[in-house]
Amino acid sequence: MKFYLKLGLILLAFCIVATALLAYVNSITKPKIAAIKIKEAELAREELIPNSAFEEVTVKTGKDSIVYYVARDKATKELKGYTFTAAKIGYSSNVKTMAAMDKDFRILGIKVVEQAETPGLGANCTDSTFTKKFRGLTPDQLMVDKDGGKIQSMTGATITTRAVTNSLREQIALVKKDVEAKLAALPAQEVTP
Amino acid sequence: MSFMKELTKGLIKENPTFVIVLGMCPTLATSTSVNNAIGMGMAATFVLVCSNIMISLIKNVTPDKIRIPVYVVVIAAFVSIVDMMMAAYVPDLHKSLGLFIPLIVVNCIILGRAEAYANKNNVLNSLADGIGMGAGFTLALTVVATFREILGNGTWAGLRIMPQTYDPMLMALLAPGAFITLGTLMATINLLKEKK
Amino acid sequence: MKDKYTVSPAPHLHDRTSIPNVMWNVVIALLPALAFAVYYWGWRSLWLTLIGVVAAVATEALIQYLRKVPVTVYDGSAVLTGMLLTYNISADSPWWLPIMGSVFAIAIGKQAFGGLGNNPVNPALLGRAFLLASWPSLMTGNCWIRTLPHKLSESSINGISNLSLIHANLQGVSAKAYDLVTSATPLKVAQTLRDSSFVNTITTDPATNLDISGKMFKSLFDMGTLRSLFWGNVGGCIGEVSVFALLLGAIYLLWKNIIEWRIPLFYIGTVFVLTFLFGGIEGAGPSILLPFFHIFSGGLMLGAFFMATDYTTSPLTKNGRIVFAIGCGVLTVVIRLVGGYPEGVSYSILFMNVMTPLIDKLTMPKAFGRVKK
Repeated sequence: MKFYLKLGLILLAFCIVATALLAYVNSITKPKIAAIKIKEAELAREELIPNSAFEEVTVKTGKDSIVYYVARDKATKELKGYTFTAAKIGYSSNVKTMAAMDKDFRILGIKVVEQAETPGLGANCTDSTFTKKFRGLTPDQLMVDKDGGKIQSMTGATITTRAVTNSLREQIALVKKDVEAKLAALPAQEVTP
Repeated sequence: MSFMKELTKGLIKENPTFVIVLGMCPTLATSTSVNNAIGMGMAATFVLVCSNIMISLIKNVTPDKIRIPVYVVVIAAFVSIVDMMMAAYVPDLHKSLGLFIPLIVVNCIILGRAEAYANKNNVLNSLADGIGMGAGFTLALTVVATFREILGNGTWAGLRIMPQTYDPMLMALLAPGAFITLGTLMATINLLKEKK
Repeated sequence: MKDKYTVSPAPHLHDRTSIPNVMWNVVIALLPALAFAVYYWGWRSLWLTLIGVVAAVATEALIQYLRKVPVTVYDGSAVLTGMLLTYNISADSPWWLPIMGSVFAIAIGKQAFGGLGNNPVNPALLGRAFLLASWPSLMTGNCWIRTLPHKLSESSINGISNLSLIHANLQGVSAKAYDLVTSATPLKVAQTLRDSSFVNTITTDPATNLDISGKMFKSLFDMGTLRSLFWGNVGGCIGEVSVFALLLGAIYLLWKNIIEWRIPLFYIGTVFVLTFLFGGIEGAGPSILLPFFHIFSGGLMLGAFFMATDYTTSPLTKNGRIVFAIGCGVLTVVIRLVGGYPEGVSYSILFMNVMTPLIDKLTMPKAFGRVKK
C-alpha cells in the first residue's frame, strides 16, 4: 500500500511541476499572443478596406452576439463598408474567414484566417485563386455552384468551399439585418440628438 | 556505441518511418507537400531532442511502474510550452509550423524513443539519438511528400515541376495516395535491402 | 509433378472450364456493348477500349516478368480488366485516362496482392475508384455528355424524353430548372430532384415547386425515357449505356454457365424492390415503372452481370452469394437515394468484395458428420 502511495505521489509531483511550468509560460505568453492576434486582425482589415478607420459594433442576438466593424474613410469619414469574421465547421476544422463588404453588402474581399483543412485540398482555401472568386458577389450569389450559386467549388474540397461560402452568407444576413435596423432608427436619432 | 553512430543510425538503418514504422499518423497527414513535410519534421525533431534529454535526465528518479504516464506528462508539457513560446515570440514560424505542433503529441516516435532509448542511455547519446531519429523522420516525410506533391499537384516545394498541361493525380494527396506511396516506398527499400 | 499424380477417389468429373475459357467468354459477352458504344459515340470508344486493354496486358506482362513468375497474359484476365475499366469512363476521355486506370488496376489492384485469384477486390472497379478520386472532373458531371449519342439533341441531352417539353413550359419560370434539364445523366436528375434544398429554390411558391419537380420526376420513368435507357440513347460511360447490349452478353454467359444467376438476380431484385418502396418523391407518388428507371440507368446492369460475379471476389457458397448480392443492392440504393453520388454500383461492389471472406466464413456449410463444437 505504501509503495503505491509513493508512486502516486511521485506522479503527482511531476504533474505539479509540469502544470506550474505551463501556468507560468502561459501567463507570460498569453498577453503577447493576444496582442499579436489583434494586430493581425487589424492588418487584415486594413488590407481588405484600405485607408479606413474602423469602429467596432457588437450586437446581442439572443444568447450569441455578433461583432462587425464599420469602415469609414480616414479623411472624409464617408461610409466605405463593413468587415466581419464568419466561421463554420469545414471538413476537419473550424474555418474562420474575415470578409469585407461595401455599403451595398457586396463582397470586397475575403481572407481565410484560421483553418486546418486537408493540405493540398481544403487548405487551398487560403489561396488567392480561391478567395478572389468571392469578389463582387451579392449575398444571393454566395452559394456553391452545386447548390445553385456562383462559387465554383475547389476540386476535392466541396465541404470546405461550402463552409466558407455558407458561413459568409449567414453572417452577412445577420450584419445586414442589424445595419438596416440601425438605419431605420437613424432619423429618430437625428431628431433627438 | 559511439556518438557518431548514434547520430547516423536514424537516417537509414533504423529509419523511424520506413524501418521501425513509427509515427504513421503524422506521416500520412502531413506528407501532402514538401514544405509541410519539412515543417513537421523540424517541429518533431525539436520536441524529440528536448524530450530525449529530459527523459534521460529524470530516468533515475522515475520509478519503472509509472514511467509511461511520466513520459506522457513530460512530452505533453513540452509540446504545449513550445507551442505557446513560438506563438508569442516567433509568430511567423508558428504560423507555418503551428498546425503540426498538436500532432506531435500523438507522434509515437517521441514516446517510442523515450521508452526504447532515452531511459536507458546517458544524456549525450540520447541527444544524438534524438537528432538522428528526427532527421530520419524528416527525410522519410520529405521523400513521401516529394512523390505525393509532384504527382498530386505538379509541384515540388511549391516550384512547378510538371508542365502546365499536366492534369494532377488528385488521389496522391488523399489518404489512399499516402498509403500507396508509403507501401510502394517500403517495398522498394526492402527489395534493395534483400539484394544487398 | 505434383499435379500429375494427384490421387483422388471417384467419381472424376471433368469439363472444359478453365481460366482462359471463362475469361475469353466474358470478353465475348462484353462485345455487344462495345458495338453499341461505337454506334452511338463513334470509333473513339473502340480506340479507348483498345488502349485500356493494351495497357492492362502490358502492365501484367511486365510485372510478371519482373516477379519472375510465368507470364500468363494469354488467359484473358488482363484483357478483361482493361476492357471493364474502359467501360467505366466517358467516350470523350483523354487517351491517357484508360492507361492510368489499367496500370493502377493491374499493378496495385491485382499484382501487388499476388496476381490472379489473390486480389481482394475487383481490379477494374479499383481502377475506376482510383480514376474517380484522381481526376474527378473527367469522371463526373458533364464528361458523360460532351460527346453526345447522335440521336440526342441539346434540348434532351440526357435522354429524358419529356423533360424538354416540360422545360418549354418552364421557360421564364426558372433558370435553375433549365440547368437541371441539361444535367448529365438521368440519375443525376433524379438525385437533384430528390434534394429539397434544390426544389425549394425553383420558384418562390412551394406548391409550384412541388408541381414542377413532380412533373419532371415523372418524366424520368415514362415509356419514352425507359426506351432510351433500354437501347442506350443516353449520356453515360462507354459500357453502361445500353441495357439491351449488356443483357445480350449476360444471356450468353448464363447459357454457357459461366456466371451464376443468383448474384445478378438478387442484386437487381433488391434494387428493384427498394427503389419501388423508397424511390419516390413528394409530388410524384410510387409507380411500378420507377424501379425500371433505376435498374436500367447507371452501371447496374454492367455491375450486376459482369463485375459482381467475378469468381475471385464473390463468395463461394450459394447462400453467401445471395447475402453478397443483397448487400450490393442495399448499398447501391442507399448511395443513390441518400448518398452524395448519383450512382453507387461500383462502391457497393467494392465494399461487398471486401466483405466476401467474412460472408464465406459465416455461410460455409458444416461438413457432414462433424460434431458441433
